[in-house]
Amino acid sequence: MSNAMSQSYPKIWLRLKRSPVMDVTKFLMVVAILIWVMARGTQQLGYNWQWYQVPKYIFQFQDGEFTSGPLMFGLAVTFRITAWGLLLSMTIGLVTTLLRLSNSFLARIVARGYLELIRNTPLLVQIFFLYFVLAPIFGFSRFFAGVLALSLFEGAYVSEIFRAGIVSIHKGQWEASHSLGLSIFDTYRCIILPQAIRRILPPLTSQAISLIKDSALVSTIAIYDLTMEGRVVIAETFLTFEIWFTVAFMYLIITITLSMVVNTLENRFRIQT
Amino acid sequence: MQDKELGDYIVTVEKIGKTFPNGVCALRNFSTRIRRSEVVVIIGPSGSGKSTFLRCLNGLEEIDSGSIVIDGTPLDENKKNRLEIRKEVGMVFQSFNLFPHKTVLANITLAPGLVRKKSKDEARKMALDLLIKVNIPEKADSYPFQLSGGQQQRVAIARALAMHPKVMMFDEATSALDPEMIGEVLDVMKNLAREGMTMIVVTHEMGFAREVSDRVIFMEDGCIVEEGTAAHFFSNPQKERTKLFLSQIL
Repeated sequence: MSNAMSQSYPKIWLRLKRSPVMDVTKFLMVVAILIWVMARGTQQLGYNWQWYQVPKYIFQFQDGEFTSGPLMFGLAVTFRITAWGLLLSMTIGLVTTLLRLSNSFLARIVARGYLELIRNTPLLVQIFFLYFVLAPIFGFSRFFAGVLALSLFEGAYVSEIFRAGIVSIHKGQWEASHSLGLSIFDTYRCIILPQAIRRILPPLTSQAISLIKDSALVSTIAIYDLTMEGRVVIAETFLTFEIWFTVAFMYLIITITLSMVVNTLENRFRIQT
Repeated sequence: MQDKELGDYIVTVEKIGKTFPNGVCALRNFSTRIRRSEVVVIIGPSGSGKSTFLRCLNGLEEIDSGSIVIDGTPLDENKKNRLEIRKEVGMVFQSFNLFPHKTVLANITLAPGLVRKKSKDEARKMALDLLIKVNIPEKADSYPFQLSGGQQQRVAIARALAMHPKVMMFDEATSALDPEMIGEVLDVMKNLAREGMTMIVVTHEMGFAREVSDRVIFMEDGCIVEEGTAAHFFSNPQKERTKLFLSQIL
């Protein structure tokens, strides 16, 4: 029955359905509908669309050369925050997982405490705490405080994703590795993590996308990321809809880049069992 | 097996006890000694502690009491000793436990490279020799999921042998196999026994026990009920419990 069903679809359609092109198309369709609704709405409001104003906030052309506009600067900052945040949150997540799975009671308590503390308090509060309380004590920069807060927050979730992936690996793999005389470190490095990574990647991608979106919150401690720059431009020009749409599109560029990277990785790790 | 030279004692197990957290007592004051080149077959009903005994020997399970010494190295809290023993004791599992993300060759060369610090070429050459020994040289570059159960188990044996262990343990190595594949795995095990490998084999294959074992141990409730040479054990069991068990499985 199900076999007959799948055969009745042309293969190309199935492939198209799964490709990222489809996701982009869907996204654009939703955006188009939204724009149409907005346009209808603003017609009644008398909103004056001034898209021609937007490009200069992205790029400026002066004296025969391009210079970046405020939104591009913001994008670069968001990109840096995201890249560092991903790296740091993965590291924190992995370390927390290993502590939680270790034999040491103290390590497990520390990891558990961190996890519960971070998961049960709002990110905004954590950012403020790090910036206003800890940063003056330890003397770290605004940017570092933002990245660290974001990484600590996402790291807690990442550690749960890692843990789920690791405990899903069959006990026999540990035993086989131990019986060959491999150390715990080598067992993780060569046997457990390479297998767990395949199961970890999909939920990890969701978490990474969350991180990108949550990075907008660092604008609250006056880091001039994409959201902050967008706000500044809107405050100057009142181009509310145009700028927010542009900002949303720029976030989309980052998330799609990430999705493409993950797709490549997933293909690399894909091995049947 | 007759007229085989047995060496000195390589495994000494003294009064070991093991109770699982759920209260099940798997081993009670279990003692035995095993000589170099001896092939010991352990039989018994399920839950009698056979597998637990093997798993205690290489530290996959902690013992509660007693002592285990393998080739002069005591199995104790010392992590170094534990790793040392695991290097010297090979284990083959019922469910193969090959590493699914690695090729057959990589499965075999992994531990010699990491633990014995063999060079890549050296490990590769040895792995290919071992694959010839277990009769599947053509599968070197396959992944485990591409192999039949019998082939996977033979790779698992090759993987354990690649560490040049002094003792090989088989935990119901043929129990998960389709009947037509049991023979090919048993053949490899028999050859190994003839080459003088010290083997501890938990199995339900009485033919194997009769043909190659030097000693048969019948266990129940974590204790040895009866032990003896294969010929003596099968033709002339002393205890009622042994007779009953043999009548049920033969």
